[in-house]
Amino acid sequence: MKFLVVDDSATMRRIVINSLQRIGYSDTVEAGDGQEALAKFDSSVNFVITDWNMPNMSGTEFAKVLRSRDDGRHVPILMVTARSVKEDILTAMEAGVNNYIVKPFTPQVLKEKIDALLPAAAA
Amino acid sequence: MTSTRTREALYDSEAALRLVDNQLDQLHGHDVRDVKTALAIPMISLSELPQILEQANSQIMTVLQRLRESRAALQSTALEKFQTTHDKIREVTSATEDAAINIMDACDRATQMVDDLDRLDAEAVPDREKASGLRSTLRDELFVMMGALQFQDITSQQLAHASAVLVEMEQRLLDVAKLFDHNVDADGIDTITVAEETTYDPNATTRNAEGRQALADEIFTAVRSSAA
Repeated sequence: MKFLVVDDSATMRRIVINSLQRIGYSDTVEAGDGQEALAKFDSSVNFVITDWNMPNMSGTEFAKVLRSRDDGRHVPILMVTARSVKEDILTAMEAGVNNYIVKPFTPQVLKEKIDALLPAAAA
Repeated sequence: MTSTRTREALYDSEAALRLVDNQLDQLHGHDVRDVKTALAIPMISLSELPQILEQANSQIMTVLQRLRESRAALQSTALEKFQTTHDKIREVTSATEDAAINIMDACDRATQMVDDLDRLDAEAVPDREKASGLRSTLRDELFVMMGALQFQDITSQQLAHASAVLVEMEQRLLDVAKLFDHNVDADGIDTITVAEETTYDPNATTRNAEGRQALADEIFTAVRSSAA
């Protein structure tokens, strides 16, 4: 299972990647914004974890572009963000995000959300 | 809303100042350009003077009123913005302190576990099962420390927001300065330099993460249920 972790904060990328390793996923690739993530995304990526607020291309823009691509139409997208007002959450859903984690998060929450989306990732 | 009110008040003040400027120009032009005419028919000029002065007085009163409104709007906006910024900075202080305390607590517990492991190791017959349990708990503690570092991302966004407010207030003050003196050279003033493009959520917070996660879960569940 290969994860693409997208966040402009290097600290957050490390925390997410270490959390993934802790729950058994060590195959990861990382990107600092949506543009870099699009360049690094290919059919080998099974799961995307992305932040929202990033320079160059935000997480929601990245999700929309990904959903318009044949190879990104069905990949699970989990958004991990500090944004937590209702309108933002709905906007993320409209962009194609499959689930949503509010920062700061616990590894348990990350595991729950990933487990819930695993069937889609495996498909 | 307050920002719109401020812009409107500034616009009105500027318009009123221009009217007064225009009236004063006219008054000045009347005296200087048409000296001969004024001398030839002094009664007409004198009869116009009270009306012109009355108009100027009226315009000056309007300007003063607009300036009072501008001042009130600016004061209100500035106070509101600075209060928000102050709250954000206080929250940053609180978040960093909380994270530091959590990390220190985890360090203390981890240190205690290492001591316990040393004691177990020194026993004639070490209890491997107990040692294994301690190592597992020690890993959890190390992970707690790492998780606490998430404050860095959130406080960065809070500080970016505070910085943006300062830049905005600086721009407004420059606008006010230009209103009184169009010759103000903004380029010649040392302004706040924004180092790089920053993106942030103005509502970013470390508080009530569980409650905010529950809201997100509730919305996702509700939307999915209605779509199904």
